[in-house]
Amino acid sequence: MRSSLIRQILILAALALIPGLGEAVYFRQKISWQSSIPPSELVTVDQARTWAGNVIWVDARPDEEFARDHVPGALSLNEDRWNELLPQFLAVWSPGKKVVVYCSSLSCNASREVARRLRKEAQLSDVFVLEGGWEAWFKKR
Amino acid sequence: MVQEEMSKTPNAQLSTSNVQLSGNASTSNVKNRTSNILRRIVDLIVAGVFIYAGAIKALDPVQFASDIDNYKIFPWPISVALAFYLPWLEIFCGFALVGRLLYRGALSILMALVLMFTLVTIAAKVRGLDITCGCFGHASQNWSFPSHLATNLGILAALVVLWVSNRSPKPL
Repeated sequence: MRSSLIRQILILAALALIPGLGEAVYFRQKISWQSSIPPSELVTVDQARTWAGNVIWVDARPDEEFARDHVPGALSLNEDRWNELLPQFLAVWSPGKKVVVYCSSLSCNASREVARRLRKEAQLSDVFVLEGGWEAWFKKR
Repeated sequence: MVQEEMSKTPNAQLSTSNVQLSGNASTSNVKNRTSNILRRIVDLIVAGVFIYAGAIKALDPVQFASDIDNYKIFPWPISVALAFYLPWLEIFCGFALVGRLLYRGALSILMALVLMFTLVTIAAKVRGLDITCGCFGHASQNWSFPSHLATNLGILAALVVLWVSNRSPKPL
């Protein structure tokens, strides 16, 4: 009886794998396995630099890291002091400007969260996350 | 005369007990039929819930991957893999309940899934994470923690009832 139950579980688990794999192939362009940020919301350092004066850099790292060094002209906007820093950011922002958010490196989550909140809470549309974060920018400085 | 009556009595008793037996049998048949119908209804409701929940998520695996990632339990690639796989597992288990094929296997998987979802939800709440449920796509985005938990426990209770009331599994 137990072996029959295990066999049933394995059959169902294997059956579900087939359409799951098919879907993974079908959606391969829409989702990245490396990063939780959709490719359309990511921007590289080189690409962001071409936007020149039409971009607002947002530093999502903690205050100490921002104070140590940051992208020239960047504004600090982290989740620790969100309510305090958001109005300062909105005072600088104007429609049509692109917003590029960065945190420490490829693996950090802060930039993704700040970008998500800017889209959701501040209803901004052109918000991007810098691929590779501060590390990538620092290497290309 | 008395002897005649005496000789008739056992038959009379036999016939009375036969009537009682057949009456009991028909009552028990009615009870069985009613409980089978009720079990089938619960089967179909639970199956419908999982097929619907699975289909909604299978249609938007990108959103579901993001919902899983919000729980901060798995690394991103695992969240993506689960987002592609779990909806189909729910759908197949739902259809297994409808067709009564691989029935107990489907019930076991669904109970394990609901238990896992419940524990993960509680863990997220304890860690103070503000998460959207994602269980039923957009319909469940604004669910509060108690309604989320109540739904999970309700489904789990229904699955346990089905498991207990289906003692004799159908062979594959």
